[in-house]
Amino acid sequence: MTFDPASAAAGGLARCHSCGRVETVEAGRCPVCEAPLHLRKPASLERTVALTLGAAFLYFPANLLPVLRIESSLKGEQDNTILSGVIRFWEDGDYPVALIILTASVIIPILKVLAIIALCVAVRSGRSPRAMTRLYRLTEYIGRWSMVDVFAVAILVGVVQLGSVLQIDPGGGAFAFAGMVVLTMLAARSFDPRLIWDAAVQNPATAVR
Amino acid sequence: MGNTNSIHYLACPDCDCLYSAPEAPEGSRVVCSRCSAHLLTRRANFVSHATALIAAAAIFFLLANLFPFMTLKADYRESDMWLVGSMTGLAEQGFPVLAGMVGMFMLATPTFLLGAMLYILIPLLRGRRRRWSLPLCRAMDEARRWNMVEVYLLGALVSLLKLEKLATLTLGVSFWAFVGFILCLASAVTIIDPSELWRKLEEAQR
Repeated sequence: MTFDPASAAAGGLARCHSCGRVETVEAGRCPVCEAPLHLRKPASLERTVALTLGAAFLYFPANLLPVLRIESSLKGEQDNTILSGVIRFWEDGDYPVALIILTASVIIPILKVLAIIALCVAVRSGRSPRAMTRLYRLTEYIGRWSMVDVFAVAILVGVVQLGSVLQIDPGGGAFAFAGMVVLTMLAARSFDPRLIWDAAVQNPATAVR
Repeated sequence: MGNTNSIHYLACPDCDCLYSAPEAPEGSRVVCSRCSAHLLTRRANFVSHATALIAAAAIFFLLANLFPFMTLKADYRESDMWLVGSMTGLAEQGFPVLAGMVGMFMLATPTFLLGAMLYILIPLLRGRRRRWSLPLCRAMDEARRWNMVEVYLLGALVSLLKLEKLATLTLGVSFWAFVGFILCLASAVTIIDPSELWRKLEEAQR
């Protein structure tokens, strides 16, 4: 592998993943915080792809299985999937809430998986590294917000212990959903954006900074 | 110090661009010229400011755990829900793993962050570090991304609206303490630039 002459790796220098100290990679461990040193995150692409596949697989049970079941003496039983929750809020005229859940629970997870695929492709082509780096930062930041529905379920289950009048049970969808969010977060974490810049140096023709 | 050369370098975390460490005056921000990643922010007295904010956050967090978070009223009956309730409720309904995840993201991680920061920052006020300061600082780097208290707060608002038609939910003292806790913790995290904290720890005496 050849590195950009301006990069730390070209001079055999590694930036510590943990404390940011720049040290010769032969040192093995960071002299400040003792974290292992690597020029690039180890097996970055393989790990990212594997975790993303897992997340994409969980996306289906997360959206098809009910996330919670409400039994109320007034309204009977209802199974709630994420989408049916969105639809109910929309029909009741709670448009902002419907949009928050739709964005956080349905759209962001799809966009995240697509973004990670785009990033992995960029590692091959080295195309527009600047824009891709920005996409990476956005993907890393936004992932956690998809947990909002899982927390809402957790709170509803915790608050309702009224037995006869109202009962709320969690559904398998909530579990699949939480697993999916954790997997996409791990995928974003194991991705190394510096690989895009390395590829950009190898294919200068396609790279547009 | 083993290799004195490398101290004068700074590398971009996102594009690996190498810089000879700039003489940044206090109050300045250094940004990567190639990919515009944030490299470091030098703030005057960030250790004492962050310590004050973390102490306040710890008090808010304690209050948030001691009072009811929400109260549900339906059919002349009332029940209180404490912050831990969102975890124990799931466990009782047969979802222990999900309960563990929720507990990790909104109770265990913030507790760890508060404890670790106090352990690191208080001795650092006098330019000292303790035995576990460095390993804890490293663990904190990882813990930060799994801290989802602000997402939990949004989830609380969503659940409030979900039950609107079936029962009456009122917010308790703990809810407002939790808001205060999030504000203090978030501003402390913004004030602390990780690389600056590491540099201070490196200079600190055992």
